[in-house]
Amino acid sequence: MESMNANEIEKHKLTQHYQVLQELGDCYTSVGNYSQAHRCYEKAASLGPDEPGPYVGLGVASLQVAKLEDAEIAFRVACRLDPRCAKAYAGLAMVAQQRRDFPQSFDLYMKSLELDSNNITALLGLFQVSCEMGSFAKVIHYLQVYLQMHPGDTSVMFALSALYLKDGQAGQAKGLLQDLLTLEPTNQDATNLLEEVEHTMAGVGRA
Amino acid sequence: MVDRLRPGAGKGQGPLVSVLMPTFNRRRYLGGALASALAQTYRNLEIFVIRDGGEEVADVVRSFGDPRIVFIDRKENRGKPSSLNEALAKAQGKYVAYLDDDDAWYPNHIETLVRALETETDCHAAYTDLYRVYCELRPDGERAVLSKHVEISRDFDRFLMLYFNHVLHVSLMHRRDLFDKTGPYTESLNILIDWDINRRTAFFSDFHHVLSITGEFYCPLKNSDRISDVRRRDSDDYLRNVLAIRTTNPPKPWAKMEELSIIMALDRLDHEVGRTLMKVWRHTFYPYRLYLPLPPADLARLDIEMPNVVCIPVDPRSSVDERVDVALQKADAPYVAVVPMGLPIEDMWVEDAVHAILRNGTNREGFLLGGAERGRWGAVVRRADLRQARTAYPHLSVESSLAACGVRMRSPAPEELPFQFDELLRQGKAAEAEGDWTLAARLFEKMGRQYGNGLWMKTMAARAYFEAGNLALASRLSREVNRIRPAVDTLLLEAKVRRQERDFAGAIRLLREAEQGLAGSVRTEPAQGESRRQHQQTCGGV
Repeated sequence: MESMNANEIEKHKLTQHYQVLQELGDCYTSVGNYSQAHRCYEKAASLGPDEPGPYVGLGVASLQVAKLEDAEIAFRVACRLDPRCAKAYAGLAMVAQQRRDFPQSFDLYMKSLELDSNNITALLGLFQVSCEMGSFAKVIHYLQVYLQMHPGDTSVMFALSALYLKDGQAGQAKGLLQDLLTLEPTNQDATNLLEEVEHTMAGVGRA
Repeated sequence: MVDRLRPGAGKGQGPLVSVLMPTFNRRRYLGGALASALAQTYRNLEIFVIRDGGEEVADVVRSFGDPRIVFIDRKENRGKPSSLNEALAKAQGKYVAYLDDDDAWYPNHIETLVRALETETDCHAAYTDLYRVYCELRPDGERAVLSKHVEISRDFDRFLMLYFNHVLHVSLMHRRDLFDKTGPYTESLNILIDWDINRRTAFFSDFHHVLSITGEFYCPLKNSDRISDVRRRDSDDYLRNVLAIRTTNPPKPWAKMEELSIIMALDRLDHEVGRTLMKVWRHTFYPYRLYLPLPPADLARLDIEMPNVVCIPVDPRSSVDERVDVALQKADAPYVAVVPMGLPIEDMWVEDAVHAILRNGTNREGFLLGGAERGRWGAVVRRADLRQARTAYPHLSVESSLAACGVRMRSPAPEELPFQFDELLRQGKAAEAEGDWTLAARLFEKMGRQYGNGLWMKTMAARAYFEAGNLALASRLSREVNRIRPAVDTLLLEAKVRRQERDFAGAIRLLREAEQGLAGSVRTEPAQGESRRQHQQTCGGV
């Protein structure tokens, strides 16, 4: 344990230039400057040829400008460099989703979540694909697991509430939305969904 | 005063600085190093390039066509100290600076140090911080930069300087006339040459630490060909050099150092005495002169190469205490260690007590040596106290006479021991290695408050807090550091924090600055509204 951490410290020293470029690429991606992000990731890849990070970044940047083939190639390189790279599988899932290949996308999101159940991109992507496919059981499980680890994540609470409703679990949806609104009383989407849930429950009650 | 040191100052404006650049088999990198010296904003330089044998470099040197270069072309390799001495014999500058043939200065290096020595301090020596550059050697010999770290930014500590060097020559500038006091470079040394002259300089001056990064030195990842790295692998040779440095003291008077007289309390000369003397030689780093009060017959039998030994002939019938008295008459240092036979001699055996008496001792107080016990009494005391005690109570033992004279003896308290900063640093790094980042961060913060080296410790604490997930403290500390002395690693750290805070524009600005630093240089002045001067510090040591 001790030597592993010491090695990590040592690794940190030797990968600083790589880290600067990778961070810079991520920041440029976050502000929508994909050409600069692309430049940074390519330089990072030359400094860390065995690291999947720059290829994930290149894939994301390509995806944002709708270059699906470039994105797929980059994500596949990342997967090859690190077969346990959850972000790379999530990227491939996003490519498939954009191609409306929902079953493929679903499988890839699932693979990503198997590797990292904490991956919020995969989780929300899985939610979207599930809605398209009308298949809710698996994604409900992952969202529940995620919420156990991040109990205050209101975006996931909202997604899970919507899924509960679609899956006919209106009572669960109502409880979760009430929790969400305790955390964020002004969340209008949650308020609207809660109204819909209550309406549904009232309809069921009347029936 | 400062105006004439501004960039562009011409020859004759500001004191002349002699730059010494010895070179041996580094033809590939010499041009880059020399170019960095010639690109200094401070122009009043004479630059000695001393080829110490090895590869021909005349064409490289002459290609610059700069009249400030003085080229000394030696066919034979006689070592770095000899090269430096030859150049110093010709140097005319008020100040001397050093540049190795494979390192580089940033353009503000000389200007920063001249300004410090001329306007900011009374010290005769000053130094800046440097990047250690980790690089990979490509097949064509070029160096691909992987990272740049200011690994050590340590304030001057005289006691530490006696034990170990913490000021790199490449970062140093000092008055040339210091050599009149220290003497020249020791040509029998082949390693730790920086430490040798820094240690001797510390006898006469403090070193002023300028918190600015003004250059870099290179550290290839594999198969380092640095001469110092190669020679360190020979442990016997390394120890020979260390002992030579530790026992070579400059001529007196010393403005900043007080010597220790070690008086061996002996009743005979035997093999154990010989072994003890060898241990003293090997384990003592505080400057000392050792007094051996023995009968002439014993002294005649003594065969010892140990330096700084004074043989004192005494009456063969005299007691051990009487022999100490005779030696005491000769001992001229302000502090005296009385050392009995059988006392364990190991690292810090005498320095703990010396440090305590230098730092903390009031008059009429002495400090027991480690391992001293009933029947084996040994201590460090003031010479004046000891002389008074022996004069007043010559019939008593040394220990009893001091007590009778009211000199209180005690062991050093933990807070009086030397190198507490280093011990805490070791503990902090151990906590890091075990993944206890919060403990490490708190230790580093405490050290910065209590033991100086504030900026360095803030940098360490910021990184540890970041690893611990405490973004608020990591953010505050990294911002404080970057306002004073931005470095690649602290810029990267602050950028990571800002990205997590979703301040992408701020993170990008910092990362671009870090990228620029990796390419060559970083902002060298504090951000607007900040004063670096208030953070500059000099640690005067003992």
